[in-house]
Amino acid sequence: MIRETRGFPSPFTPFKEVPPGNAKAAENPMLKDKARIVRELEKIIGPNGVICEEDELRVYDTDGLTIFKAMPDVVVLPSSAEQVAEVVKVCHRETIPFVARGSGTGLSGGALPLEGGVLIGLNRVNRILEVDYENKRAVVEPGVINVWLTNAIAPRGYYYAPDPASQIACSIGGNVAENSGGVRTPKYGVTTNHILGLEIVLPDGEVVELGGKTLDTPGYDLVGVFVGSEGTFGIATKVIARIMKKPEAVKTLMAVFENLEDASNAVSGIVAAGIVPVSLEMMDNNAIQAVEKGVGAGYPLDAGAVLVVEVDGPRAEVEALVHPITEVCKKNRVREVRVAKDDAERLLLWKGRKAAFAAMGQISPDYYVQDAVIPRTKLPQIMAYISELSKKYGLRVANVFHAGDGNLHPLILYDSRNEGELHKAEEMGSEIMKACIGMGGSITGEHGVGREKREYMPLMYTEDDLEAMKNVKRVFNPDGVLNPGKIFPTGAKDVKAGPLGQRGIVEKVLGHS
Amino acid sequence: MLSEDILIQRLGTIVGPEHVVAGPGASAYAVDGRIPRAVTFPGSVEELSAVIAFASAERLGVAPWGSGTKIALGGVPERLDIVVGLSRLNELVDYVPEDMTATFQVGMLLKDAQAILGQRGQWIALDPPYTDRATVGGVLATNSSGPRRLRYGAARDFLIATRVVHADGKITKGGAKVVKNVTGYDIPKMHVGALGTLGILAEATFRLYPIAPAEKTYLVAFSAVESEQRVIAQLLDSSLVPNAVELLDREAARQIAGQVGLPWQAGHYGLAVAIGSVPEAVDAQIAALRTLCGNGGGLHGHVLDGDTHHGFWRAVRNFTFGDGQRAVLKASVLLAKVSEAVRKGEEVATRAGLRLGIVAEAGSGILRYSLCGDRPEGFPQGVAEAVNTLRAFTREAGGSLVVLEAPPEVKARVDVWGPAGSAFSLMQRLKEQFDPQRILNPGRFVGGL
Repeated sequence: MIRETRGFPSPFTPFKEVPPGNAKAAENPMLKDKARIVRELEKIIGPNGVICEEDELRVYDTDGLTIFKAMPDVVVLPSSAEQVAEVVKVCHRETIPFVARGSGTGLSGGALPLEGGVLIGLNRVNRILEVDYENKRAVVEPGVINVWLTNAIAPRGYYYAPDPASQIACSIGGNVAENSGGVRTPKYGVTTNHILGLEIVLPDGEVVELGGKTLDTPGYDLVGVFVGSEGTFGIATKVIARIMKKPEAVKTLMAVFENLEDASNAVSGIVAAGIVPVSLEMMDNNAIQAVEKGVGAGYPLDAGAVLVVEVDGPRAEVEALVHPITEVCKKNRVREVRVAKDDAERLLLWKGRKAAFAAMGQISPDYYVQDAVIPRTKLPQIMAYISELSKKYGLRVANVFHAGDGNLHPLILYDSRNEGELHKAEEMGSEIMKACIGMGGSITGEHGVGREKREYMPLMYTEDDLEAMKNVKRVFNPDGVLNPGKIFPTGAKDVKAGPLGQRGIVEKVLGHS
Repeated sequence: MLSEDILIQRLGTIVGPEHVVAGPGASAYAVDGRIPRAVTFPGSVEELSAVIAFASAERLGVAPWGSGTKIALGGVPERLDIVVGLSRLNELVDYVPEDMTATFQVGMLLKDAQAILGQRGQWIALDPPYTDRATVGGVLATNSSGPRRLRYGAARDFLIATRVVHADGKITKGGAKVVKNVTGYDIPKMHVGALGTLGILAEATFRLYPIAPAEKTYLVAFSAVESEQRVIAQLLDSSLVPNAVELLDREAARQIAGQVGLPWQAGHYGLAVAIGSVPEAVDAQIAALRTLCGNGGGLHGHVLDGDTHHGFWRAVRNFTFGDGQRAVLKASVLLAKVSEAVRKGEEVATRAGLRLGIVAEAGSGILRYSLCGDRPEGFPQGVAEAVNTLRAFTREAGGSLVVLEAPPEVKARVDVWGPAGSAFSLMQRLKEQFDPQRILNPGRFVGGL
């Protein structure tokens, strides 16, 4: 049975990946007993919530990172937490691998059914169950789209702070799994800072409540441990989130620089001045070109870099911060600082940043995005290094990233029609990651390890460090049937690192077939 | 079991004999009245690791000890052989002000860490009780927090990396020294508030915050806690951004105001709101607060600035009540239930014949009840009744109640942690994975873990 394929147009024969030592999954009972299991799942959910036709399944064979593909045997679309638990119980009893999926916008292959089995789509478990303004809490189901929550509470002047770029599509359940970031993290933190409680279905079907509406529930901080566990600990079926009052005032500035180095130094300068902006986003010239062709946000086409800085809070505070930010920019040879005069201008500045990934199509047929993090002071160094690599590999790079927290998103531009370019892009990506680790950074700031970066884990963590993490996984997911093949290096000898190694296997399989 | 002499000798081999205390000296390190057989002070993370590996091989019960300010938290130890004092692990490991991250060994006093960071206008955004004596590690292991949590969050929100010595002596790291990271599981959070039961924290890296350019306090009196609650609800629904919103009961308000030399009329509840920002924004918000409180029944408003402001919050953080027999309870409730929780505390204390003082982080829903009794004989039973009644109330109100501090006679009568709910079996399994021999603070954590 064949499951995982590369996303580029095949001559490649798809292959099934089975991590070593996972005999259970290799004996996936779906393979021999599919009809019986499908009947049972239909009994739980009803016939229009179970998908097993190959052409319909194909919708679920990849996520936001399309270079990996893996086909589930069955997709189920439950509409309640109870149904989720029932489905999980069946999977547990039959030892069928299963994985949860929200909107499929993830960027590390985290929701891919690497070993086939059951994919549980949570889009229909999507009610906002409660909004409690008095206590500043909302209780939502995992399929609720991130921006729905903010939209629902906006009339009362409230919002939900974490806002990943995909917020109009991504689900809060997915955000919890990935501990998603966004552009507001320098001031407001990431998803984990806003989740107080969870109801989860464990891989054996048991339903457990972690945390609650109040702070500091007795015992270990299992909410903190669960958020960001990339769907390998359980399936969140209820999420208790903190909601916040909208700030009185917001100011957005665009600072235009001749080069990345000045812009990077300005970022360090703003942080060093004791200012905590809501957002501190950077785009380089390639990104500007793409954005301007795509949406026309008004960024100067000849600029080396553009910084978008946003501050919010009480009006007097916001007014007072514009001057020092401008001064720091001036010290770093800024060409122009433009302060958005009204909401329309502000939204236009943001439109460019938020549309940046989508706009890449304007300047390149394909891109490969990295998500590494560095200490903020290393920005000028890493930018210089990336530009060197760009020359070495002959591939353009567009940098669009969260400079305020040192979270890079170099988009390596390539053309998959050109023989070997993806290969080069991947290799270059791995060099960037290694350099970031060398500077004391991290391989992923918000996209997750998932399938994509699992072989890079040893760059950051020792065997003992990883063993401690596996010990936590054993607590939640002792049999490993939930979301197998993610986060941890497989260590297989014929697997080189990451997507590159993936290709190595494909070629090997082809060679032997 | 190892003889006393061999135990001391073996520990001395690891840390140097001058860093081992036994005999009468060890009684200063008693936990709930249990005196350890030896106290040892490792001088490096490696020595700490060797001590724990030794304890593991000999199955010795271990209690980590920072400066002992919160040692009364937790159940009575199931067994206690050695106390591992962390005071020699007190170095700054690294600090890059421009990155706003810093790593400390856990035995450093939080006060000393803040002094280092303060020179660069930065701080670890934690203002817990025992301001001058608490260690970085002790604050983390007990998840201790203070009034400014409302603005900045708690340790879990800005502890970004850890080095931990496991129950078998292995040293591992979790997280990364960058402000944003999702590589692997969030190991640091697992150890916050875990009382060292999953491993002993050795180093901690924090994301830092700039110290606000200006901070002032508006302190106002209320004759009824219910009207104060209404004002707090309006404040939290407004666009004001307070650093802290503290509700003080009549006793706490009287004492704390007295400590900083402010006039205070007996019988009034206090509301203290700290505002931190650029100076002009502080003043603008204080003006708005004054109006809000005035319209809501607030009396005698004071603006506290400079030393008075700092002294006031120090007194709030360190507020304790009574000498001798004393118990401190921490309740966590929904924001809307804070005034009820205050009233409930008053009722319960009166009924049990106890005196009471309450400081409440009203914007976070966290109350600290200090109880003391004049009649020693009735004290344990009185506190036990107070715990049971308040716990029933907090549970109904969607919250929890933990005994932060109480004499062993009280602990014999109540569960200091209260129930951990349906997640308890996961917690048990976590403990089994990380400390299968149960040597790390056995019996002291939730559910007797």
